[in-house]
Amino acid sequence: MPPKVAKGEYIETDTGNKISRRSQIHGTQHIILGGKTVIQAEAVIRGDLYRLHSSASGDPNNPATPTPTTQPNTPSVAITVGRYSYISKAAILRPPSRLHRGVHSFYPLKIGDHVFVGESAVIEAASLGNHVHVGAHASVGSMAIIKDFSCVLDGAVVPPGMVVPSWCVVGGQPARIVGEVGEGYGVEGAEGGLARERYRVVGKP
Amino acid sequence: MSRPFPYTYISCPCADTPVPDPARKRRSRESPQKPTPERTSASDEDKKHIAQGSNQVEAEEEEEQTFDPRSPRSNFSLFPPEQLLYCEECHQIKCPRCITEEIVSWYCPNCLFETPSSMVKSDGNRCGRNCFNCPVCTAPLAVSTIENMTGNGSQQGPWVLSCGYCLWTTLDVGIKFDKPTNIRSQLQKMTDSSNPAPTFDTRSRQASRTFGDLKSPLSSYASIDEQANPGEGDGEQSAGQETATAPLGAEARFAALKSFYRTQINETSNSPSDPLSSDFGFSSPGALNRLMSLYASSSRLAGLYGGSKKPKSKLPVMREALTTSEGLRVAPENAEVAVIERLASPDCGWDGVASAEQRAAQSPDVRFTDDLLPLPVLLRTKRAKRCKLCKHILVKPETKPQSTRFRIRLIALSYIPLPTLRPLTLSSSSSLISAAIPPPDLNALAPLRPIHVLLTLKNHMFDPVRITLATPSVTPGRVASKVTVLCPQFDIGANSDVWDEALQGASAPLAGDPRSAALRGTSEKVAEAGKVWDKGRNWTTVVLEVIPGILPGTQPMMPGAGAEADDGNSTSGGDDALASRQDEDVLEIPVFVHMEWDAEAQLEQQNLGKGSKPDDLVSRELAYWMVLGVGRIQASL
Repeated sequence: MPPKVAKGEYIETDTGNKISRRSQIHGTQHIILGGKTVIQAEAVIRGDLYRLHSSASGDPNNPATPTPTTQPNTPSVAITVGRYSYISKAAILRPPSRLHRGVHSFYPLKIGDHVFVGESAVIEAASLGNHVHVGAHASVGSMAIIKDFSCVLDGAVVPPGMVVPSWCVVGGQPARIVGEVGEGYGVEGAEGGLARERYRVVGKP
Repeated sequence: MSRPFPYTYISCPCADTPVPDPARKRRSRESPQKPTPERTSASDEDKKHIAQGSNQVEAEEEEEQTFDPRSPRSNFSLFPPEQLLYCEECHQIKCPRCITEEIVSWYCPNCLFETPSSMVKSDGNRCGRNCFNCPVCTAPLAVSTIENMTGNGSQQGPWVLSCGYCLWTTLDVGIKFDKPTNIRSQLQKMTDSSNPAPTFDTRSRQASRTFGDLKSPLSSYASIDEQANPGEGDGEQSAGQETATAPLGAEARFAALKSFYRTQINETSNSPSDPLSSDFGFSSPGALNRLMSLYASSSRLAGLYGGSKKPKSKLPVMREALTTSEGLRVAPENAEVAVIERLASPDCGWDGVASAEQRAAQSPDVRFTDDLLPLPVLLRTKRAKRCKLCKHILVKPETKPQSTRFRIRLIALSYIPLPTLRPLTLSSSSSLISAAIPPPDLNALAPLRPIHVLLTLKNHMFDPVRITLATPSVTPGRVASKVTVLCPQFDIGANSDVWDEALQGASAPLAGDPRSAALRGTSEKVAEAGKVWDKGRNWTTVVLEVIPGILPGTQPMMPGAGAEADDGNSTSGGDDALASRQDEDVLEIPVFVHMEWDAEAQLEQQNLGKGSKPDDLVSRELAYWMVLGVGRIQASL
């Protein structure tokens, strides 16, 4: 049992999110957590890299540094995380970006339910589906799309713009489809369906 | 993929029963009935199944029954639980080895569009749209415009495919596209001509096509019997050479050769009406006749030299392609010298030469990275799965590539209890070790120090199940670890309605969760023999006591100061021993699971009347081996 921090390592929100006090979350107003999400220590979530509305044509300067003056009345969402998703230690979530018509702009990052993001993984995907497993030290490139029930192996480098279909296992550098997960993947309690169990034990002594 | 500790694998019983393999079939062909192997193996299975269940044939079963997770064979039968299926007809676990697959649909993994089965062959099993892989690094290529950087202007510029991983673009091989759509056909047009200049390609492609049209009627006359033919062919060739001297591209040449050989088969075969089956289909009676005469003639040939010529009136002979239009390509005179010179030249270098992996996916002539072409993405399939024995369908996914749903999905997890393993954090009341010990490091288990692991079996069936666990008291192999299941017989409740669970849970939402309660309550709880550790609605947890064995090469236990001093030696000794046999330090426990339950009788069972109880319940049983991967044993004490 690790020595208990006086205030508790995790902040638990009303919707059951467990967020480590040692995580770095930027731009919280641009982040939606679905509830029962776990964010572990040293994880970095870049909600400050959101897309600027209606500034595509007239804003040639770098939009990476967000200017609050141009913020519209409805804050754009940079990162959405579904229920029972788990962001491990030192993982980085960063919205994907793209050069479009000469303007570098960010796009929202959507993460589904029951997703596991391994330690020190870097996620820049456009979307991660439900029940996706991203291994430790993996990196998911900009605008990649990882569909439901797929698995990114440890240390894999998913190239930018890659699409990983459902039930596929990708690995390697650059990542290729190396196999398929079994039909039982994602069943509650089995591989791919351990999200509730994972959530339950977080923060317990 | 190796899994982190602790893991559980389930052994498919097909490892014990012979799978109907081709070799067996060949042997069985001597006996008249063909389906014998299936039938025998099925009955074997049933027999074994019954024997395992009722322990009737203990003596002979016992010897072969102790499952050794280290035996080389067991690698082929152990599967993670979620990979296994269950056949409701055979009442047996089915692993990927005991199923057959059939393709439901083809789709491109990149654009997730379905390819109709009629198009799959013509597209060469590759995506016919805009999906390409980088020939250098296999990452997907993106369509982008060259004009992108210059900013707000209209995006009309030429288009290229670019790799986001290794930054290769089609500009590196001098290819640009006029439109951002239908790139596959654009590329095909360019590559069909051997001329690299894209301005030339349309003309030469047309030429090659006209050649293709020309060739088939002409070559149908071409046969080796007709003496006049070579001259005629030459004439045709010379006439053709005026229109297009350029040799065909690789794909056009393949097509030309293919149609040429098809016509050749047509010409030479006895029945021109169906060319392939009569020549190569060994099932057809014509082919059989030919084969038999072949054997007969060769045996006669052994006795009487040249005697075989008599019965044959005229042997049809296939000729080879003679003209460029038929797919012939004459090797250029000093091509190899040129290649060698280029290899040796400083501007090519190591980086300019295509690697073996890169060349494997390209046409055989490609030697340099300048010749690499973007590769259309290979299609993937959605497959239905059937039981090999009874052909019962086990898995049928929806055809749509985007859908993750199944029409039929009989996975083993809905029938057999799902095993999960967890180390039990030792408490202060435990006799051997003092309090406040962190949970044991599963990657370095101390030998001879008992640990407790919790094995949870979760039932997904709607009937309660009686479980009997059996394990060898000492694990097989050189590293003898002692294992005791503290409670080998227990019941698991039925997987009742989810709403019941929700309502039960509502009374005490999260803190009332028994598993977390068990985790917290460990300090008070003591593992007791004969008692279930914990129990829930549809799951039961029992305790296994494991005493990891000593690795060969580890110094015998020396209590006190000696152990510390020996540490260095013993680890090195252990390493040597480990080097000899891989993964011997992994502590895996074979556990035999026997489950019994009363199922609702299906129609056939009712008709059989065997074993059916008055209330329409049939007692079922299933038995299998599973392997619990507990951890890795330390080399030092």
